Amino acid sequence: MPRWGMVVDVKRCIACWSCAISCKEEHFLPPKVFWNRVLISERGKYPASRKVIYPVLCNHCSEASCVEACPTGATYQREDGIVLVDYDKCVGCRACLVACPYQQRTYYDQEKKDAEYFPGQGKTQFELLGEEIYPFQVGTVMKCNFCVERIDEGLEKGLAPGQDRDATPACVISCPVGARVFGDLDDPGSEVSQLIKVHSAKQLRPEFDTDPAVYYID
Amino acid sequence: MTAATHNNSSGFWRRLTRKKQLPEYEWMIKPTQQEEWIEGPGVYLWLAFFFSEIGAGIYFVSLFSNFRAGFIIGWLMTLVLGGLIHMRYLGNPGRVLRIFAKPGTSELARGMWVILIFAVLGFFQILPALFSGLPWTGFNFMYKIIMGIICLLLIMHGFATMNVVRALPSWSSTMILPLSIISGIWVGSQFVEFFMGLAGANLAVFEMWSRVFFFVYLCFFLLYIWGTYHQSDTAHFSMQELVKGDYAQLFYVGVVVIGLAVPLLLTLIMWGQTNTFLIFVRLVFVFVGDLLLRYTLMKSAYYTPLI
Ligand code: SF4
Ligand code: SF4
Repeated sequence: MPRWGMVVDVKRCIACWSCAISCKEEHFLPPKVFWNRVLISERGKYPASRKVIYPVLCNHCSEASCVEACPTGATYQREDGIVLVDYDKCVGCRACLVACPYQQRTYYDQEKKDAEYFPGQGKTQFELLGEEIYPFQVGTVMKCNFCVERIDEGLEKGLAPGQDRDATPACVISCPVGARVFGDLDDPGSEVSQLIKVHSAKQLRPEFDTDPAVYYID
Repeated sequence: MTAATHNNSSGFWRRLTRKKQLPEYEWMIKPTQQEEWIEGPGVYLWLAFFFSEIGAGIYFVSLFSNFRAGFIIGWLMTLVLGGLIHMRYLGNPGRVLRIFAKPGTSELARGMWVILIFAVLGFFQILPALFSGLPWTGFNFMYKIIMGIICLLLIMHGFATMNVVRALPSWSSTMILPLSIISGIWVGSQFVEFFMGLAGANLAVFEMWSRVFFFVYLCFFLLYIWGTYHQSDTAHFSMQELVKGDYAQLFYVGVVVIGLAVPLLLTLIMWGQTNTFLIFVRLVFVFVGDLLLRYTLMKSAYYTPLI
């Protein structure tokens, strides 16, 4: 069984937000909800300061705090490491949201459901289509799912996630500079494993002890 | 209350509880505030934790003082106020049932089970207690011990749920559980003392215990602030927000003056002779002060920046 993971080369990232926007498009996320974000800051003091850019998303942690905190089992981890939310089981207690040290979860309330991309103009065809395809439930929590539908459908078709576009997360295939790589962390020969080894890629804030599946080359 | 005074008081509350608006681009780049469990509907969780814990505190102290009315008051406060507000937070009673289905999953689920066990066992203890007064002998003794343990677990319920959130260092502080236990017992004891005073009981011994509880509460409170201040950068930041930052006014007025200084003064005034009216006044201050202590602790919890 693979363990899906991602490597992000922050030196390549140009903070164009393509990943965040393609993610919103892929999952029909309502206004102000992001499953992918780009954090921009600076390190050091002038004149030795430098800009740092970190695209962040759910890390699909092995020791996920959100899974430990969920009282209903709605947040669960698949064997391939992907952490998902079962909206039918979620009671909206937000324990997972509070517990996630990376703050990668969003509570979907009525306000978010009613929000329109063009306020006062009604929902666009795109938003209405999204409500059909992605029926998020009000009063539950949502987060990045590593584009699990693309992965599962791709595998069914015999495609390789991380190599074939149709089986790879939207944020990875939309990155114009190839800063994101997706693949199997458990396969030592995979591109992600090689990148981690060669560049000593690091997890974000390993001291949180959640063992993220997203690594950064910085 | 006139509309003007209402506006003034809500404006005052808003001023006390206002938060520094973190610009969007500084989200998780600077310490980022926990909001879900205190902003908007999150206030229900604050109140739910508070009432279930204080109710358990009343029950716990009543066990020791054999104060029968205290069993009922504590039981009702935990279940009616605590339980209903928990449900209000979740928005739908059916959802609470889903939490009961997975008791082993999390601290929150275990807490809900403790509430359920407290409800059932408490009910069967209250019924005969109303008639017999439950002496410290035989089966009743064992029942009291079991209920005492359940009460302690219930008193810790809210803070234990917060304590397991490792992402928020000010909540995962080691001192938070001892503080929660003594806070439940201290506030609970004040209720029991007041009601016993109303019933005409001699409060000399009880008042001595109250002084002990208050002293321990004060010590644990100071230890919590001091320990958390020195724990990590983010915990330090949280405590700074509490004592010097946005919530300093609320902290000093609500927690230090209302919750600690005034009760201390009243305790000193009553040294040597108790007075039911002053005990009532102290109860009001202790109640409001502890409520605000929990509020400020929930408000001043910050996440560690990611980069
Ligand atoms: S990043 Fe947060 S939401 Fe994602 S798996 Fe880890 S703890 Fe859970
Ligand atoms: S909000 Fe839903 S997914 Fe999150 S902890 Fe509660 S029940 Fe689990």
